[in-house]
Amino acid sequence: MDLIEFFGNHTFRMVFLGTSVIGLVAGALGSFAYLRRQSLISDVVAHSALPGALLAFLTAVVVLGVNGRNMLGLIVGAVATGTLSALFANAIAARTKIRIDTAMAISLTFFFGAGMLLLRVISDGSFPGKGGIDDYLFGNASVITIADLVTSTAVGALALLLMLVFWKEFTLRTFDPVLSTVLGFRAGLIDTLMFTTIVIAIVIGVKAVGVVLMIAFVVTPPAAARQWTRTLPGMVALSGVFGGIGSGFGAYLSIMLGNVPSGPVIVLVLFAIFLISLLASPRRSVITTALHRARAREALRRALLAEGTDR
Amino acid sequence: MSTAPIACRARNLSVAYRAEPVLRGVNFSVPLGSVMGIVGPNGAGKSTLIKAMLGLVTPLTGTVDFSGRPLDQVRRRIGYMPQSTSVDWDFPTTVIDLVTMGTYGELGWIRRPGKAERARAMAALEQTGIPNLAARQIGELSGGQRQRAFLARALAQAPDLYFMDEPFQGIDAKSQQAMVDVLQDLRARGKTIVMVLHHLATVRDYCDHVTLLNVSVVASGPADEAFTKENIRTAYEARDGAEAFLATAV
Repeated sequence: MDLIEFFGNHTFRMVFLGTSVIGLVAGALGSFAYLRRQSLISDVVAHSALPGALLAFLTAVVVLGVNGRNMLGLIVGAVATGTLSALFANAIAARTKIRIDTAMAISLTFFFGAGMLLLRVISDGSFPGKGGIDDYLFGNASVITIADLVTSTAVGALALLLMLVFWKEFTLRTFDPVLSTVLGFRAGLIDTLMFTTIVIAIVIGVKAVGVVLMIAFVVTPPAAARQWTRTLPGMVALSGVFGGIGSGFGAYLSIMLGNVPSGPVIVLVLFAIFLISLLASPRRSVITTALHRARAREALRRALLAEGTDR
Repeated sequence: MSTAPIACRARNLSVAYRAEPVLRGVNFSVPLGSVMGIVGPNGAGKSTLIKAMLGLVTPLTGTVDFSGRPLDQVRRRIGYMPQSTSVDWDFPTTVIDLVTMGTYGELGWIRRPGKAERARAMAALEQTGIPNLAARQIGELSGGQRQRAFLARALAQAPDLYFMDEPFQGIDAKSQQAMVDVLQDLRARGKTIVMVLHHLATVRDYCDHVTLLNVSVVASGPADEAFTKENIRTAYEARDGAEAFLATAV
């Protein structure tokens, strides 16, 4: 299949565009999660989005009697339980002697377990449109509709806009939270705004990528982009490009390879970008860093030996 | 006590982490235009005192005022130089961007730094003697250069009152001299400086006023009156480091 044929197909086009938008938004916004060391809390949000997405489905089908798969409902539900789970983990860590990593694991597994239970309830029941509901686990980009694409693009654009408007505040709070407070910026407000953007970046991918792998879209592109860039604007831009192109290319590959799910293929492509970045980046390559260090150590050893014989 | 106007004052300030007191009933005042060194053993609460005065930790008892006004009314006139270990030096940013952050408070929400702010940051880098490093990645700086960049950021805030937490930590001789020059210039221009110092030997070189702290205030006032052998011994509870210092100095 050539490119013209690929983009001539409506489903393929949706898969490509849908995953590219998710990759771009998650990659750009993920940079702040990376720099604030919130990668793991992002995974808590992603996994814990499952029960919320399913509750949104149930509410739509049972209570409202409308299509259970509409994107906006899914986003609202996913944001609700994802955020609740992250707050729960932070509250435990702040109020008890239980450490944050333990608290996050407990919270993640509880919400994810509840989601798995709901998944069973839905697939055992007789709900209209329940077919393929377990795609929320690993995603299925081929079911993305134009309405879905419009909704996730709009919500994603809103999150990116928030980031651009509060760029200065986000940067200062991330780099030096203490100075940010001393200068009179309200920490709680900035944290809420930043967390909102990261949660949005995560939940817009639930349908196409699934809650299990979504974390890779938030974490891997920034880690790769950091290898090549020296400034934050550069890092955010490159991370968005890595995410967008990696996702688009991964989606293309998954279709070319036949009946392969797009989420996992994209994750493999993002990993490849990450690996190349680790090895080949001019300033931070693991290879050149190791060589430089070995050379410097050898020079030091010789100098010390020479000193020893001089005496 | 002197009758000079007071830049800032703490009254009965106590701070507790959980139920452990870190500061207990601290009273002291910083005369306008003075250089006040806060000195004491490890765990004396030196950094906590600065943080409590800047509203970064909530005190259990007591108040802080700045020439009679609360912190929120005078934020723009206060500069803060934290310990350089308090930030991630692998953060992707350049030295000039770091220093420009000092102007963010004056800009307030949303407004972006422009040419004027960049110029102020550049002038601050010139004062600390590292304008040539402006385009450098912050991770490439040496310990002394980091402290000078942090000092430049405080200068870019253009405050009247400076709080510095161990400004001379991990610093080379050249950077130390550059910083001392800046401090003398600030003092000549009537600025007030409060700094936490770790090494007793340097206190006399930099400070005209001293507060000896060990959870409570042992002594506070002009260096000649407060920084005495007797007071140092009390503050350090005759620890080895202080004994060695007392044997050679003062």
